[in-house]
Amino acid sequence: MRIAIADDEVDVVNFLKTIVEDMGHIASAFSDGAALSQALVRETYDLVIMDWTMPKKDGLATLEWMQTSLQEKPPVIMLTNRSAKKDISDALNAGADDYVTKPEDPSVISARINALLRRSAGSGAFEAKAVYGKYEFDRIDQTVAIDDKVMTLTAKEFELADMFFRNRDRTLSRNYIMETIWRTTAALATRTLDMHISRVRAKLDLKPENGFRIFTVFGYGYRLESIEKR
Amino acid sequence: MTLRRRLLIEWCLIALVATLSVTFATYWRGTAAFDNLVYDQLSSISRPAPDEDILLINIDEASMARIGKWPWDRSIHAQLIEKLSPAKPRTILLDILLSEPGGADSDARLAQAMKSAGNVFLPVNFHSPGSDGRAYDTERPLPLLAAAAKGAGHVNVAFDNDGIVRRINLCFSDDEQDWPHLTELVFRNGGPGSAASGRLPNCEAQLMLPYAARDTFSEISYADALDGGIPAKLVEGRDIIIGATAAGMGDNYPGPFSDGGVVSGTEIMANMVAALRRDDFVTPATNWQVMLLSLLPTWLLMIGFLRWQPRTALIVSVGIFALILICSTSALAASLWFPPGAALLGIILVYPLWGWRRLQAMSAFMHDELGELEREGDIVPLALNPDRGSDLVGRQSAALASAIDHLRDLRRFVSDSLEHLPDPMFVTDTAGTVTMANHRIEDYLGPVAKGTSLKTLLDRIVASAHRRSVDDYLRVTGKTQQNPHQPFVRFVSPDGSHFVMRSAPVVNDADKTVGHIHYLADISTLAQAENDREEALQLLSHDMRSPQSAIIALLPTIGDKRVSGRIEGHARRTIALAQDFVDIARMGESPFEGTDILLADLARDIADNLWPLASERSVTIDVVDNSDSAFVLAEADSLGRAITNILDNAVKFSPAGGTIRVSIDRLKAENGATIELAISDDGTGIDADLLPRLFTRFAARSAPDARIKSSGLGLTYVRAVAERHGGKVWAENRATGACFYMQIPEAMEPIPDPDV
Repeated sequence: MRIAIADDEVDVVNFLKTIVEDMGHIASAFSDGAALSQALVRETYDLVIMDWTMPKKDGLATLEWMQTSLQEKPPVIMLTNRSAKKDISDALNAGADDYVTKPEDPSVISARINALLRRSAGSGAFEAKAVYGKYEFDRIDQTVAIDDKVMTLTAKEFELADMFFRNRDRTLSRNYIMETIWRTTAALATRTLDMHISRVRAKLDLKPENGFRIFTVFGYGYRLESIEKR
Repeated sequence: MTLRRRLLIEWCLIALVATLSVTFATYWRGTAAFDNLVYDQLSSISRPAPDEDILLINIDEASMARIGKWPWDRSIHAQLIEKLSPAKPRTILLDILLSEPGGADSDARLAQAMKSAGNVFLPVNFHSPGSDGRAYDTERPLPLLAAAAKGAGHVNVAFDNDGIVRRINLCFSDDEQDWPHLTELVFRNGGPGSAASGRLPNCEAQLMLPYAARDTFSEISYADALDGGIPAKLVEGRDIIIGATAAGMGDNYPGPFSDGGVVSGTEIMANMVAALRRDDFVTPATNWQVMLLSLLPTWLLMIGFLRWQPRTALIVSVGIFALILICSTSALAASLWFPPGAALLGIILVYPLWGWRRLQAMSAFMHDELGELEREGDIVPLALNPDRGSDLVGRQSAALASAIDHLRDLRRFVSDSLEHLPDPMFVTDTAGTVTMANHRIEDYLGPVAKGTSLKTLLDRIVASAHRRSVDDYLRVTGKTQQNPHQPFVRFVSPDGSHFVMRSAPVVNDADKTVGHIHYLADISTLAQAENDREEALQLLSHDMRSPQSAIIALLPTIGDKRVSGRIEGHARRTIALAQDFVDIARMGESPFEGTDILLADLARDIADNLWPLASERSVTIDVVDNSDSAFVLAEADSLGRAITNILDNAVKFSPAGGTIRVSIDRLKAENGATIELAISDDGTGIDADLLPRLFTRFAARSAPDARIKSSGLGLTYVRAVAERHGGKVWAENRATGACFYMQIPEAMEPIPDPDV
């Protein structure tokens, strides 16, 4: 896979390049948004990782340019120093596919890259059973077992859990979740979604100790993160 | 009470008074004198010609002088009849009461004469009031004479209130029978009209008699007739009416003649016979008809008063007045009598009454309003000057003029004030149209013409990037009710000055917003300071953070893990410190914008975030939700960071293998529940001397582990956030370790979004 990295900080570019190359991908580095844009016209990349604040053309402007000028926009991970949650939801709502707050662990960054590449490569065929760490999904019986202990879930809760696990490490917008699970975005109180996710979280005991956690992106959506043992 | 309502009440009262007056005037003949006058005048315009077929033989003063004192011997009447009969008169009407015996011979002779004449009619008189409490006594002719007469009829006349004889009854009913009037009998006995007429007199009907001019019927003195000086052709085929005319005989009545003279009974009968032959009695309208016809113009005028100008009302009133008289006259020409008095009374009553009451109401209204104005007037004293003009209208117009003068002064004062204010400002009405602007505004916005719309103005001066604030501004200033939230628009003028435009509602007396005052404030220096501050915060939050991130990114390349670990610790602390500082500085900048947040989920998120640190130190974080998924209205950003700060501290101060309990509880209160977040550790607790100032700046706890140092800003931030959320935070020591509490009000049930 070809991955473009754009950041004005050389050390950060090298840090990211190392991660990407360690994962077995080809990395191209750019120092600003303008250079990245020029390259995107000529070259095809499977993923773009770019900084929010860059000279000449910043991340948000580059993102907007990509939306309007590229026929097929590759998935984009925004790197940001800003941990303000509003900035994150702004970036996601502007069309970024995911974001990473600097400084972040290499394992987290590689998990996000994988999640996005997996998605752009297609989600794969239906499997009756799937195992994610401790969690075993039976999609025919619609049950989830943790360490062989079967948990009781409602139909909606199973669908929600299944969707999260299929899209692990990917940030899902609230609208995406509501459309997928409830097949509507209208007439569904925002609290309904919050409460369902809270229940799934409690019932499946989703926490880092069990290898997965749910991360709330306020103002945007949710992400199921897989925790790698370090 | 409003003027309109008061006038309506006055109107109703006047309508009632007018209706009652007209009704009373109709039934109690209140306007009879006037009506009779009108009737007499109208009838005198065209009187019928006297009937040539009638001859009056008058027992006048001359006859008395010649024949002797009344009563005469009845043989004299017999002689007259005997003299007249050979000339063949059509009828002889002997209008002399013959109810008492007058001597046997004389009576017999008269009976004999009447019998042989065969066309003599005698009167029956009804004497009213009667004796012994009867309504009337019937005075009939002697039976002997009655038998000799061709017929007997009543001769009673009706007197109007003024004693004048205008009405007659063609029939009179006593207990036994209907008595036709004597003239009716004469009429039926033959002559013009009688053969064709099958009509019988209506005993109830009262008719009005059209009089021929006085003394125009043929007449001769009784004495002359007795002396035989009448040519036969004067008598032949005529109706002879013999009766008294001499004064003192009691058979003269006041007649409806303009000279006020009397008319004799014989002449009244002559007129009746003539009227019967011509069939032109005047029929008076019934009371019921008169009342309705009289009320109609009054009501018409009353309704008109509500709609017409006073001038129109006057013209119409005069018009209706004339119309009533014309109608009355035309009706009389068609032998119908409609007395116009009541109708005219209604008109005459309501017009001035309405004029007076309306003036009174206006006057009272003006008095009240002016008084009110005087009491309120504090900018310019509004003295109502009572000296000018002695009458009420004069005084009030003086007061009004003075009030108007003061208002002009006030208006001048306001516009001068507006004009010379140092701040540029303008006024718009509720439709958003500029109605007033001072000159200073032109220095900043260019010419602002009256009638310019606020939207056009704002579109011109505010860059499109700030459209949202403009829409917000327009929405609030477009509303008529008062809004506690006053929006503002910031913009940069062409010369680079920064401005804030704010508005204040203009409220009228009824507390209704009728417009807005908009004023501009030059905030260039403030904007500059803001800019500088923003740059400083930018430097802290981004420019200082970037190199720290780069340091951390470089760390994996360092071989010595012990050193790299320490460097990372310092770098991360620097980032956290800068972030805390910026966060606290930014906190007050923006208004609170909370969303519904499930507090237990937020706590779990944070616990998960801190898991790497906790697991490194073998600390367990237990999140227990006892609140049944309670929502709080919160800013995820700041509240999340605040809880992180507490929880982060708890992890740092926990001994290895310890447990941190995060519990969320719902505490019911009177007005909505409070959600309490408690974070307890089993560390060493907080120093007693530090506890009171724990949440103040740079009151850092010293951790048991020297590697960990608090920035000292963390808990200050926590308190600020808790207060921003309408809650509070405190800490206390437990038997084992410290416990931090944060309380935030529970979010209300969300109002359904209309867009969804």
